[in-house]
Amino acid sequence: MQPRPIALKILDVVSIIVLAISAYLALFFAPTELVMGDVQRVFYFHIGTAWVGLLGFVIAAIAGISYLVTKNMLWDRFEVAAVEVSTVFFFITIVLGSVWARPAWNTWWTWDPRLTTAAVTELIYVAYFMLRTGIEEPEKRARFGAVYTLLGGISAPITFMVIRLFRTIHPIVVGSASGTQEKMGMTGDMKIAFFFALFAFTVIFVDMIWHRLRLSDLQDKVEQLKLKVSM
Amino acid sequence: MSTPDTSYYMNLGYTFFFIVMSIYVASLYIRTRNLKRDLEMLESMQEDENKKKKKS
Amino acid sequence: MNTKPTRTNDDGTHPSSFARHPSLFKATFAIVSKDLSAEFRSFELISAMLVFSLLVIIIFNFALELDIKVREAVNAGVLWTTFAFAGTLGLNRSMAVEKDRGCMDGLLLAPVDRSAIYFGKALSNLAFMLIVEAIVLPVYSLLYNVNLFRLDLIAVIILGSIGYTAVGTLLATMSVQTRMREVLLPILLFPVAIPVLLSAVKASGGLLTGSVFAEIAIPFNILVVYDVIFIAIAFMVFDFVVEE
Repeated sequence: MQPRPIALKILDVVSIIVLAISAYLALFFAPTELVMGDVQRVFYFHIGTAWVGLLGFVIAAIAGISYLVTKNMLWDRFEVAAVEVSTVFFFITIVLGSVWARPAWNTWWTWDPRLTTAAVTELIYVAYFMLRTGIEEPEKRARFGAVYTLLGGISAPITFMVIRLFRTIHPIVVGSASGTQEKMGMTGDMKIAFFFALFAFTVIFVDMIWHRLRLSDLQDKVEQLKLKVSM
Repeated sequence: MSTPDTSYYMNLGYTFFFIVMSIYVASLYIRTRNLKRDLEMLESMQEDENKKKKKS
Repeated sequence: MNTKPTRTNDDGTHPSSFARHPSLFKATFAIVSKDLSAEFRSFELISAMLVFSLLVIIIFNFALELDIKVREAVNAGVLWTTFAFAGTLGLNRSMAVEKDRGCMDGLLLAPVDRSAIYFGKALSNLAFMLIVEAIVLPVYSLLYNVNLFRLDLIAVIILGSIGYTAVGTLLATMSVQTRMREVLLPILLFPVAIPVLLSAVKASGGLLTGSVFAEIAIPFNILVVYDVIFIAIAFMVFDFVVEE
């Protein structure tokens, strides 16, 4: 595997820097929220990770379709990288959402559309990995993975819309769910922290995917060599 | 109404974030290192095979 | 200008577009009749699904302390959970049998459009699921003294089953080819089938608690939309999961 290209080295440094800045903005620069107190600060990282989690989901579906159309394994490697990195970020999203919910609404979990869809999406990711693990041939693995990302990619947004539509009929268990809270009037400083978090996590996301892609390349090489040597 | 002190949860959340990110980065690093070792070993095995083929 | 050469029947009439592709329709029909006749000889699959469904209903009786008030709210949920689990059983068995007996290879070698295989299997899976549901409904009605014989409820059940088996057939074809085989199907299917199950429960629940049909129009429409979308996707993508 070639040593890290210079662009990647720079990106690594930039990622760390923007992460630090974002943390500073979220933890110190933004004002303390009046009703909930300091716990509201996790909101910035919650949104940041949610954004990249969803982005990765969409990217994975696109990569899946691209693989099915072109049969180029590069798309498969890209798809795996996108799903894996998104799984990690989305997991963080869910837990941060839960941590935020606890003091704010006195419950560790709310079944509001966003959190529920996030949980379902995370389960789709996990199912994706279980599917891939159960297949030996790389070509079949790529095909099946692509089909599943496509199914998941279409089903999850429908899930979100469906739950949202039904929220009005379904009794709201705990106060008002996060939907109304997030539309809370954000002061200017909060908005800065908010948008910078989105930006920072996008940068970090690209960095992680790049690293994970290189890992995939290495994995492929090792697999191919294993076949050659054992013959 | 005074603002409640929920900094405990804030710390909890951020600590969790950094722990999970560190674990993931570490896992990427460890997996890369293991694969590189496998690659080296396989490449040397391949060289041995080639040498044997040349001799025979 | 008619540049394409069109066949005409022997008596001079034009064939309908259906007849221009006789193989797709006939092949689908052949697969469905093969599956149904095989099943009606032994009743293996349907009896297993049926007994399983009844057991699940009984377990729910113990799991949820159901007094009349509570039960009204959960009838739909219990029914659909039962259908989902029994459906998984049927899908698994149906596709596993194909693989084990090597029928799948035979079907793939035949000079038919691959989509005929998909439609054939999906239709027979749907048939099995509907048969089981047709038996579970009266039993549930008896056990819980609730009237489930309404046309609108039956329509919802049919639409939900269509969506479920459309996606389920595709995913079962995939899961049966993995190391984990049947175990993997629920893991793959449930997250993706949540819109169907959710809408079906909402619609059925609404009907059973006294809503008029107009009130459940939204989930009903979602069922229709989901069915259309996912039948289309499964049909387009099925080729990729049966290549050799």
